[in-house]
Amino acid sequence: MLGEFEYLLLTAAVRLGEEAYGAAIRQEIEGATKRRCSIGALYTTLDRLETKGLLQTWMGDATPQRGGRAKRMVRVTAKGIQAATTFYNAVTRVSRGVSWEARRGAVKI
Amino acid sequence: MGGASGRCQDMNRICWWLVDIVSRMLEPAERDAVHGDVAESGETGRRALLDVLGLVIRRQTVLWKDWQPWLALITLVVPVGMLLSLISRRVADGSAIYIWLYANNWTLDYLTNVAVRHDLLSDSAEIGVGYLAVLCWSWTGGFLVGSLSRRTIAVNGPLFCLVLLLGALFGGPQFLRSWLFLPRPLGHTPIGPNAAVFLDPFYRVIFPLTVQTVLVVLPSLLGICHGLKLARLPRLLQTILWGSVTAAVIGMVTQNLVWWQVRTWNNSPPSLPRLPPLLLLALVGPFGYIVAVGCWRRCYRKNRRVPA
Repeated sequence: MLGEFEYLLLTAAVRLGEEAYGAAIRQEIEGATKRRCSIGALYTTLDRLETKGLLQTWMGDATPQRGGRAKRMVRVTAKGIQAATTFYNAVTRVSRGVSWEARRGAVKI
Repeated sequence: MGGASGRCQDMNRICWWLVDIVSRMLEPAERDAVHGDVAESGETGRRALLDVLGLVIRRQTVLWKDWQPWLALITLVVPVGMLLSLISRRVADGSAIYIWLYANNWTLDYLTNVAVRHDLLSDSAEIGVGYLAVLCWSWTGGFLVGSLSRRTIAVNGPLFCLVLLLGALFGGPQFLRSWLFLPRPLGHTPIGPNAAVFLDPFYRVIFPLTVQTVLVVLPSLLGICHGLKLARLPRLLQTILWGSVTAAVIGMVTQNLVWWQVRTWNNSPPSLPRLPPLLLLALVGPFGYIVAVGCWRRCYRKNRRVPA
C-alpha cells in the first residue's frame, strides 16, 4: 500500500502529464496541501517509487528559467496508476459515512 | 534601513554560496536538477540551503545503511587515523627535544665549529627524514580513505581529520601503550629527563598541533582528493598504485613493532634480515601515485595526438 506522500506525488505527476518534473510536482503538492514540500522528501520519494516500478524518471531539457539546468522528468507507469487507484479506493471506502465526508458532500451541493 | 537590507543581501549571497558547496555532495545529474528546481522556485538562499542540506543528509543516511561505510570507518578511518596521529605526535615530541636543546643553548659555534656543525646537520637531517616519512604516510592514509570511501567521504573525511588531530591528545587506548610508547595526555605533569622541554606549553601543545596540521592533516586532505580521482586511471595503473599504497601502509603499521623492538635491545641484537629504511617504505605510496598519473597523462596525450 502507498504512503500518503507517495500518493500525493503520483497524483500530482499524473495531473501534470507531459509537464511532470521535480519543481512542478513540488508546486502542485504545495498548492494542494498548503504546506511546504522539501526537495529532500520529493527526490527520495521519487527514487523509492522508481525502485518499486511505479514511475520512471529521466533528465529532460534545460530551460532559461532554471538557469540552463536540466529537469528531472517523471512519468507514472501503469503499475503506479494501479497503486494510486488502490490507495484512493481504500481511502474512499474507509471514509464512507464519517463526519468530514458528509460535510464535504454538503459543501459540494 | 540600508544597512539591514545590505546585510540581508550578504547573508543571501553566503547562503547561495553554501548551496553550491553542499550540493557537490550530490551526484552530478541530481545536483543539476536540484539547482534548477531551487532557481525556478525563486526561494531565498536560506530556504534553498535548508532544502539542499535536507536532501544531502537523506542521501548520506541511505548510504550508511549498507555495511561498506561502517567497515571502512572501523578498519580504515579510525585505526589509520589514530596511528598517524600517534606516530606524528611521537615524531613531533622527539624533534621538540632537539629544537629546545639547540634553541635554548644557541651559540655561533654551532655554525663555525666543524664537529658541532656536523651534529647540527645530522640532527636536522634525522628530523627532516622523520617529517618526510610522516608526510608521505599521511598522504597515503588520506589516499586510502578517499579511494575506499568515495560516496561517504562527506562523513569519513572530516572524521578522519578529527581523529588525526585529536587522537594523540586523548592518549590512545590502553592496550597500545606498551606497543607505541605513547606520549602522556594533556593535563599530566611531564616527568623524566625531558620534563623541562614539555613543561613549556609551546612544546607540549602548540608545536605538536602545528606539526600534525602541516605534516598530517594537510597531506591527508591532498591524499583524499587524489584518492577520489582514482577511478579515472586505467585498471593496470590502479593495480600498481594499490600495490605501492598497501606496501606503504604495511610499513607504517609494522614500523614500531619491528624497529622499536630492535632499537631497545641494547645487549645483543638478534640477527634479523636487513630491513628497508622506513623513509623508503613511506615514499612508496606517493611515488607510486606520481608514476601512475605520469604514465596515464603520457598515454592520454599520445592518444589525443594520433589522428582518428
